[in-house]
Amino acid sequence: MLNKTLYLREMKRSLRLLVIFAAIMTMYVTIIIGMYDPAMMAMLDGFVKMIPQMMAAVGMKAGTTNLLGFMISYLYGFILLIFPMVYSILRANGLIAKYVDSGAMVTLVAAPVKRRSIALTQLSVLLSGTMLLLAYVTGIEIATASLGFPGSISPVQLLRVNAGLACLHLFIAGVCFFFSCLCSDTKYSLAFGAGIPVMMYILQMLSNMQNESSVFEKMTFFTLFNAGGLAAGESGALLGAGLLLISAIALQAGAVFVFCRKDLHI
Amino acid sequence: MSVVRVENLTRDYGSGRGIFGLSFEVSKGEVFGFLGPNGAGKTTTIRHLMGFIRSLSGSCSVGGLDCWKGRAQIQKRLGYIPGEISFFDDMTGAEYLRFVADYRGLKNGSRQRELLDLLELDPRSKIKKMSKGTRQKIGIVAALMHDPDILVLDEPTSGLDPLMQNRFIDLIREEKKRGKTILLSSHMFEEVERTCDRIGIIREGRLVTVDAVETLRDRHLRRHTVQLSSEEEAASFAEDFGGVRNGTTVTVSSRQSLETIFLHYYGGNSHAE
Repeated sequence: MLNKTLYLREMKRSLRLLVIFAAIMTMYVTIIIGMYDPAMMAMLDGFVKMIPQMMAAVGMKAGTTNLLGFMISYLYGFILLIFPMVYSILRANGLIAKYVDSGAMVTLVAAPVKRRSIALTQLSVLLSGTMLLLAYVTGIEIATASLGFPGSISPVQLLRVNAGLACLHLFIAGVCFFFSCLCSDTKYSLAFGAGIPVMMYILQMLSNMQNESSVFEKMTFFTLFNAGGLAAGESGALLGAGLLLISAIALQAGAVFVFCRKDLHI
Repeated sequence: MSVVRVENLTRDYGSGRGIFGLSFEVSKGEVFGFLGPNGAGKTTTIRHLMGFIRSLSGSCSVGGLDCWKGRAQIQKRLGYIPGEISFFDDMTGAEYLRFVADYRGLKNGSRQRELLDLLELDPRSKIKKMSKGTRQKIGIVAALMHDPDILVLDEPTSGLDPLMQNRFIDLIREEKKRGKTILLSSHMFEEVERTCDRIGIIREGRLVTVDAVETLRDRHLRRHTVQLSSEEEAASFAEDFGGVRNGTTVTVSSRQSLETIFLHYYGGNSHAE
């Protein structure tokens, strides 16, 4: 079903990006968790009081009491959304659309390998990277938290939040991959594959800046990822994550279907 | 038995571009020349044969399999040199060839070595840094190294120097001897004339004529036999003008350009554009 040679080549190409992003996220996660300290908390809460909109735009709100709540406020609104998203945008475009655009796709389709295998292999590469990043971040979070503040975090709650985060990123990867398969031009693949997630994120920032729920909130899929709700095990938050997962699968299946059916002018 | 069969294939890209009602067949063991100027529809036809694009009207098959539905199956025994070769630029030539071999599940690398020797190709440098001709050679090796029965070659000698063009033509002849079915597209009459059994001429998406190469050659090659006074003179004349000497007579032939050949079929239309 999957082509091992292609998978290994593409994973090798993902490696540099993954290492860089893992390094950046390690830095942020360790620093942010290291900042979990009452005095620091007071300072950040001070910022939130002084410039609430600015802080809220990047997902930071006041009233975070435990370590997980603190992490949700300061990591899950920006760092853990942006970096895996940028990974998906760059790789999804590079895995299909770029090859069709440059003509290098000829090598892949002029061989006894089904287009479905090609698309599924490239999709696996994309999702492997996302999952590796998130698994790595989860490991770093647990390691840092249990070293710095033993017993102050519930692994079950953290895993629930990160599983929800994985659903969100599978969805984003699905959006990026779908447009990479649909568009034969890198220009359009990026315009939609990057444009839609980035627009949504900006809308999310705008809606965060407003206190009461706004129209923006309803327009973005980021709303479906409710980290606080997932930690608390709220059914609405679980439903949102489930919805993201189902949509992710639909988008990815659609992407493979589109790639199998499309005309390749290469 | 026809290996490649194109029936009434039409693909209209609008404003006169595309292919219109194209029909031809290539028999097993035959070398079919697909001759036409740039933009005539050669590559569009080949894209159909390769299963890159779906036939909207008409049909095409390779080895009895529909080119779109059976594309992965067809590729097992097909070798393809694209008109515009684009590789993974991050690789060296050797890495690329190894990738293609592994990707295809090819076990035996002996044909690859033969081809590299034949084309005098050292594939160790980065593809991005290679000249057009060297990249073309990489494409030739990649297309032929799995020893396919059917070859689809889209302007395969573009970028090669005359020496290598000759060597490639020898290679095609050798492949033909080994029973391969070959579709060779070109915009050079000379190239197809030297390799093909039959030639189909395509222009503006329509097949103008399909003829045995002798017929076309007789029609488009003018021969002149010249009598010279001595054998020495005849020999040097033959050498200078690429003629065939027989005693004191030398036969030289003039090659007509594709444009002239088209003039024959269109009575000057090709100049009117």
